[in-house]
Amino acid sequence: MTAVALEPNPLREGLDQERVPEASCLVIFGASGDLTQRKLIPGLYSLAHDGLLPSGQTIVGMARADMSDEQFRASMREACEKHARTRPVDDTVWENFARGLFYVTGEFGDRAAYTRLRERLEGYDQARGTGGRRIYYLAVPPDFFDDIAQHLAAEKMVNDPEHGRPYTRVIIEKPFGHDLESARALNRIAVTTFRERQVFRIDHYLGKETVQNLLVLRFANGIFEPFWNRQYIDHVQVTVAETVGVEKRGNYFDSAGITRDIIQNHMLQLLSLIGMEPPVAFEADAVRDEKVKVLRALHPIENAVRGQYTAGSVLGEEVPAYRDEDKVNPNSNTETYAALKVFVDSWRWADVPFYLRAGKRLPKRVTDISIHFRQAPYPLFSRLGVKMQANVLAIRIQPDEGISLKFDSKVPGPAIRTAPVSMEFRYATSFGAEPPEAYERLLLETMLGDATLFARRDEIETAWAWLDPLLQRWAKDPRPPHFHSAGTWGPEEADTLIEGDGRRWRRP
Amino acid sequence: MAKAINGEDVRVNALTIEKRLADIWREEGESDEYAVTRAALWNVVAHTWDAEQHAHATEVLGRASAAVPQRTIVIRADPQAESELSSWISANCHMMGGGRQVCSEEVAILAGGARVHHVPPLVASLLLPDMPVAVWWVGDLPGEHQEYVQTLLDPADRLIVDSSHFNSAADFALVSRIAEKTITAPADLNWARIDEWRSATAGLFDPPAMRARLRAIRGVRVASGGGGAFLGEQSEAVLYVSWLRAQTEREVPFELASEGSEAGINAIEIHFDDGSVASVRGDRERGVVIASDGTEKALDCIARARTHDLEDLIVRLLKRPEADRVYIKALRVAHDVAARVAA
Repeated sequence: MTAVALEPNPLREGLDQERVPEASCLVIFGASGDLTQRKLIPGLYSLAHDGLLPSGQTIVGMARADMSDEQFRASMREACEKHARTRPVDDTVWENFARGLFYVTGEFGDRAAYTRLRERLEGYDQARGTGGRRIYYLAVPPDFFDDIAQHLAAEKMVNDPEHGRPYTRVIIEKPFGHDLESARALNRIAVTTFRERQVFRIDHYLGKETVQNLLVLRFANGIFEPFWNRQYIDHVQVTVAETVGVEKRGNYFDSAGITRDIIQNHMLQLLSLIGMEPPVAFEADAVRDEKVKVLRALHPIENAVRGQYTAGSVLGEEVPAYRDEDKVNPNSNTETYAALKVFVDSWRWADVPFYLRAGKRLPKRVTDISIHFRQAPYPLFSRLGVKMQANVLAIRIQPDEGISLKFDSKVPGPAIRTAPVSMEFRYATSFGAEPPEAYERLLLETMLGDATLFARRDEIETAWAWLDPLLQRWAKDPRPPHFHSAGTWGPEEADTLIEGDGRRWRRP
Repeated sequence: MAKAINGEDVRVNALTIEKRLADIWREEGESDEYAVTRAALWNVVAHTWDAEQHAHATEVLGRASAAVPQRTIVIRADPQAESELSSWISANCHMMGGGRQVCSEEVAILAGGARVHHVPPLVASLLLPDMPVAVWWVGDLPGEHQEYVQTLLDPADRLIVDSSHFNSAADFALVSRIAEKTITAPADLNWARIDEWRSATAGLFDPPAMRARLRAIRGVRVASGGGGAFLGEQSEAVLYVSWLRAQTEREVPFELASEGSEAGINAIEIHFDDGSVASVRGDRERGVVIASDGTEKALDCIARARTHDLEDLIVRLLKRPEADRVYIKALRVAHDVAARVAA
């Protein structure tokens, strides 16, 4: 089967659903897992609900559990009823969507399962017009990547994009390794079977509207970019705070820690979007080239604090200490909190500290970036006893997404007194509509073949290369992390990290 | 708490509307009863000729402001009435998450007799700076050369009309001229009404095998309800055929039929050169429009039918920040299609 360049459908022009991909077979490996039930199928259903999936789109789940197509559909319907953004499930949309939903039972190491899968997919190409286009979603632990990739290749289920045949793409979920070496090993597996441009590495933060809006804020508005540098910015803070503990992921989290779980991926994505230079085009490689330059310019970490929560109270509930959580080593030194002071060694950011902190069991769930500007150069009103405060541009990633700008204003009256005021923009207030789930956006972008919102190999490896020395240092350090009560904003040492520079953490 | 925030209309002198609106927000800032946010993405000016239209437009825009925060100005201008110029202000507040109320401002202007001519400059003075302006012309279209109309439309980025009120093909031509000759981009509530019909039809031609068949369309038959006694009842069909012709760049032969009692399109057939027929039909009970390509594979394209409540249609038109270039392309063709219908 040969792919022929197709003109766009002129009837799509101007519709809300202007960008609808060509029908393909999306195969989910690990289809009986939590991610499939909570995010993937509900996300795909919501895309169908909004008219963003093509009529022949076919979704095939594959996992060890023995299930018929009908049983899989029933289980996925239940998942959509619970987790889809567009609830309740619309019967008519579901019927049509479910007609393209299939299941193949199989072990990931069993060649015969792939033969069955290939035959089924070839049948759908004929019956549903999927034209040999394939997307493989590896919703499985990284240990299975090699097996799956090798069997797909052996069954000739991977087309080389250089040969003009229908596309094959693969989506990989984090964790992309647990250190540089394992990340390189995973990437080697991926690029042995696929070319880099066929690989879509999901970091769901990049699917969030507010994260994408960082690019719009910086590069679609003329007023911010001139001030977006060391001349005007004093420092930057990024906070990713969670109220939850490790939930059912005690095993995984205890071997990973918050630095691998949040900082290596989500926070460094945010940092690179804040720090990047304007790309030459809003295209996948142009954007990712600039992001990776920021990661390459990161100065080796010199100031870092690791913390761990003890028992406390979060949102009015008593919660146990980390070491008492299910499936966590009772003597664990794994960090549930980390604060870093980071520098980007570039012309734009020299000497501007980026303070990053992430933690579990903090007082509130919030992801927030704040750009703290320098004080006005001359304290004109200081003789009158007026204390001037620096301007802060705060970008709230979640929840209650929006942007605010804090500045001083004169308090009405005969005396010169000032007070900080805030200009606020909130998505919910201005746009009302609920934004699509991050996974919906990322699944659609994969079908459309746009990798802008996905991490590239060099981004992943550069991030690990920068973090590895710190992680190795912590691994060798026999001292316990700094403890803090659950429900507080981290250990005192994290405050000292920033207060030693004459600054304070912003209360997000 | 200010009366206007409570939803009561407060009568104000036309010259002091802006000051009184500012007073409301100042009083509100002193109250800590509720967290109230004032928001606006648009200035929306509704122009009506009588009390019934005025009340209706006020209600519709009040509901629309929940989805698109706006400064609403609803005008009732009746040149035949006694000479008067009066105005009221109020706020439309909607609860958002976190106990926050988002409020849009609403100004009502009633003008009669000779004082009608004071309306356009008064409206110009009330527009929020930097926010785009949409004029919703309720009912019959105005004469395009009237100074009153020209002044009112002068600051408008968008003119919202409803072609279900159109009487003749000339009405389509008038709206098309506005698109061509002014900076005001027209928008049509009927265009929003046929969204799902366009979407389902487009879905038919997504599969690569169907794409080539766009050039093999022999004709299209569009059935609409409502009787078809005057052009407005066929306007949805006129827009659909015009869209198909404009986007395929072909003079697709068409037939418009009158079937059923409910207004609007209810079925479409697309005939191909090889004699096959694709169908697009509405299923009101299930709230969808379903397109079938008529082939053995019979993969249905389903578009969810959205509500046709006026406030929802207006919200959909306002949520599009830029001019709808596809609608404007279809408009260029619509006059000819409508003229053939009228004939």
